[in-house]
Amino acid sequence: MITRDLNHGQKVKRRSFILAGIKSIFALIICGKLYYLQILNKSKYGKLSDINRTKVKILYPERGTIFDKFGNPIASNRLDYQLNIFKEKSDLINRYISKLKNIIFFSQRDYQQLKINLARKDISDFIILKKNLTWDELEIFELVSNKFPFLFITKEKVRSYENNVIYSHVLGYVGYKNDLKEQKLNNLKFGISGLEKTFDKKLLGRDGWIKLETNSKGRIKKELNKKFAIPGENIKTNIIASMQELSHKLLSGISGAVVVLDCKSGGVNCMVSTPSFDNDEFSKGISNEKWNELLTDESKPLLNRCISGLYSPGSTYKLLTALFVIEKMGFDYDKKFYCPGYVEFGNRKFHCWKKEGHGSVNLIDSIKKSCDCYFYNLAKEINIDELSKFSKDFGMGVLTGIDIPDENYGLMPNSDWKRKNRGEKWQKGETLNTVIGQGFTLSTPLQITLMTARIASGKKLEPKILKRNRYFFEDLNLSEQNLNFIRNSMYKVVNEYQGTAYLSRLDNNLKMAGKTGTSQVRKISKEERESGVLKNEELIYKLRDHSLFTGYAPFDNPKFAITVVAEHMGSGSKVAAPIAKKIMDFALKKYT
Amino acid sequence: MIEIIYKLKKLDWFYFSLIFFLSFVGFIMIYSATSGMEYNVLFSHVTKIILGLSVMLIVAMIDLDFWKRNAFYIYLICLILLVWASFFGHIGKGSRRWINFSGFYFQPSEFMKICIILSLAKFFDEKKIKENRDYFFLILPIVLVLIPFGLIISQPDLGTASMILFISFIIFFFSALSWKFFASIGVGFLIIAPYLWNSLKHYQKQRILTLFNPENDPLGSGYHIIQSQIAIGSGGTFGKGWMKGTQSHLDFLPEKHTDFIFSMLGEEFGFFGTISVIGLIVLITYLTYQVVNNSKIDMFQRILGFGIISNFFFAAMINMSMVIGILPIVGLPLPLVSYGGSSMLTYFIGFGLILSIKLGVDRKY
Repeated sequence: MITRDLNHGQKVKRRSFILAGIKSIFALIICGKLYYLQILNKSKYGKLSDINRTKVKILYPERGTIFDKFGNPIASNRLDYQLNIFKEKSDLINRYISKLKNIIFFSQRDYQQLKINLARKDISDFIILKKNLTWDELEIFELVSNKFPFLFITKEKVRSYENNVIYSHVLGYVGYKNDLKEQKLNNLKFGISGLEKTFDKKLLGRDGWIKLETNSKGRIKKELNKKFAIPGENIKTNIIASMQELSHKLLSGISGAVVVLDCKSGGVNCMVSTPSFDNDEFSKGISNEKWNELLTDESKPLLNRCISGLYSPGSTYKLLTALFVIEKMGFDYDKKFYCPGYVEFGNRKFHCWKKEGHGSVNLIDSIKKSCDCYFYNLAKEINIDELSKFSKDFGMGVLTGIDIPDENYGLMPNSDWKRKNRGEKWQKGETLNTVIGQGFTLSTPLQITLMTARIASGKKLEPKILKRNRYFFEDLNLSEQNLNFIRNSMYKVVNEYQGTAYLSRLDNNLKMAGKTGTSQVRKISKEERESGVLKNEELIYKLRDHSLFTGYAPFDNPKFAITVVAEHMGSGSKVAAPIAKKIMDFALKKYT
Repeated sequence: MIEIIYKLKKLDWFYFSLIFFLSFVGFIMIYSATSGMEYNVLFSHVTKIILGLSVMLIVAMIDLDFWKRNAFYIYLICLILLVWASFFGHIGKGSRRWINFSGFYFQPSEFMKICIILSLAKFFDEKKIKENRDYFFLILPIVLVLIPFGLIISQPDLGTASMILFISFIIFFFSALSWKFFASIGVGFLIIAPYLWNSLKHYQKQRILTLFNPENDPLGSGYHIIQSQIAIGSGGTFGKGWMKGTQSHLDFLPEKHTDFIFSMLGEEFGFFGTISVIGLIVLITYLTYQVVNNSKIDMFQRILGFGIISNFFFAAMINMSMVIGILPIVGLPLPLVSYGGSSMLTYFIGFGLILSIKLGVDRKY
């Protein structure tokens, strides 16, 4: 034995020293590790403990409200209850969903959105599992929420459109943008079309954040600090809600458009395009099937006909032709032409809409009765390039500058255009078609309304949906006498017997001035002329004429300029003019 | 009576106050752990401290010969209680180790530690193992250790069981047995180690494995170690302040009033706090060493005192190593600080015995 020579007591003592040494080493190791943890790595562990307890949530700004002219909200926000989960616990999602399926409905879209949310990286420590919780779902969830740590409900203000079909084309809708550079704000919706898009920056507001302290069970204990979100600005528009609603009602069952402009400010009081779509559904997130259905729908519900729908202006254009000849060509408006029902030019026959003809008419009667032959005769002297230039002053073939996107130029042809686009010289015969608003000319309902409003006011009005407090418009620099001549002729159209819109004169003692139009969508062949032109009702829907009316009221102090387009509904006097009358009657009663 | 007053006068009150101070640290931490709200827990802890201190004084007054004479009987009583607890006891924390004594729950396995130290001290006092043939007698103390060890590990309570084995081993070592004895034990252990490993429960294996790589399974077994390290590390030099620990108060730290109370201390009082507590424990150990190395005491007292202080010191160090990630988490409270009556009472009894030894030493001057 090694220790044989030592006595027992000494051995014990030696062992105790060995053990004391071991103990000291043990204690020193622990002190060393504590030094490592608490002194050397304090900041690392400090950060980790902060990550443990603090969770950041993005505060989304509330979108600005959009008001009509009289302060009625037409786009506002509603409370949305959303189910959130801690991002670090996203591995629980599948288990939770399979358990929650019985009490909360998860649609295919919800799953898709969840997938997107999971893939995206942002500063938020939470992921939205499900939006748009119903009251029932909320109530049941509250009862079982104890079984689901790391889930919690938040309230968000989200866009909601109460009259979800009527304003769709004006307001547009909101949705996610997928091409964001900075994907910080996953759940921020942007304006995709309409006013929402144009004034997106104003309406959007600024996001904030909140730092929360949570415990290990996923319960929120308190707010640590936060930066409030700044809500978006409210905007006021010129839209008159009641007029918009009435117009929409009057157009039910019709594909068409109604545009009403304020003749003083150029403000858009009413802009209805039918058929429409449900912008509330769009904002919540529309299903692919529904989207495809809308895209392929032949009646084109997504098209804002007021600014993007193209129509031959038809007889409404005669106002500009007439104004042109008296203003620019010094035409004597008492000059009479005889209308036998057609005019021969070159080797072609140009027909009046009235087969038997109007007989001998002067300019004012030709407008009142909408005689085509009179204008054919005028056209023989007209230089198309000058007419085209003149028409552009009234908004034909140019952008009106309306404050919503996707406006169409329309088309005001001239010889230059013809050469460039068709590779041919301008034919004189084409001028004959142009002066009565047929042929190449295309315009949007807004352009026609703008033309009327400019004739009525004599000023270069600019149409705007956003309400402006100050506005100034240049003068058209036309002789007041000539303008009055056109205005008077429009008065006669509506208020005199044999005027094409006589049946649509106002009930009111205020008077409306206007012009009907029938926009032909097909060519009538020679054979058909001979055997008798088919009546509109005998044609298939797509070949029927568009019914147009444009006008303004009151006659002596123009306030509203209106255009009604009813697609494939026949002559202007039959459908469009009566609708315009009803809207004007209502508007004048209420707002003058 | 005069004897008792005399003894009280002569008692090492400085040593007493160190023990008291350590248990006071426990009170401070438990107060924080309960956020000062759960009065029943707090009240129960204070009661146990007062009861423990009283028991410590009473034990200190009793003559050491009493313990020496009755060591084996006390061991037997405790063993019976342990058998009872292991088979009919109350289940808590996943193991059957409690006896419900009219509302008081206590663990015989804790008291068994003292009993084993007592009996081993008595054995090695009477049998001096000097010659090779004397090793035959070691069968008795080995059986004394293995019976309770087997019972406790079957409860199952790995922490207490391995502590008992460890302390017994140290006493064997201290008793100046030959190195050959330990060498053969070591070889024997290596042989049975694979079997032992296989007999461990899955979660026990997991705990040992995660020690080597806690990040491997951050939400499973590694979670506790990581959260505990975060708590201690984030405390920094002076800590986040009393009752201001976020890891502990937001429940990221598990078992914060029992096994992980040291992590909470580290979080709220920082390096300063942890080193102070270690210093206190080292001081208590050092003072006890002075006593057991005194040449005037007999072998029984020496082994007794040494066993008790080693049990205390190693339990404390193992608990700390556990929560800072040096040793696997086996479920061992921090002596006198963690919440838990039986363990605390055992340590108080132990320190009572040390005070008693000290009285004897002082008297002989």
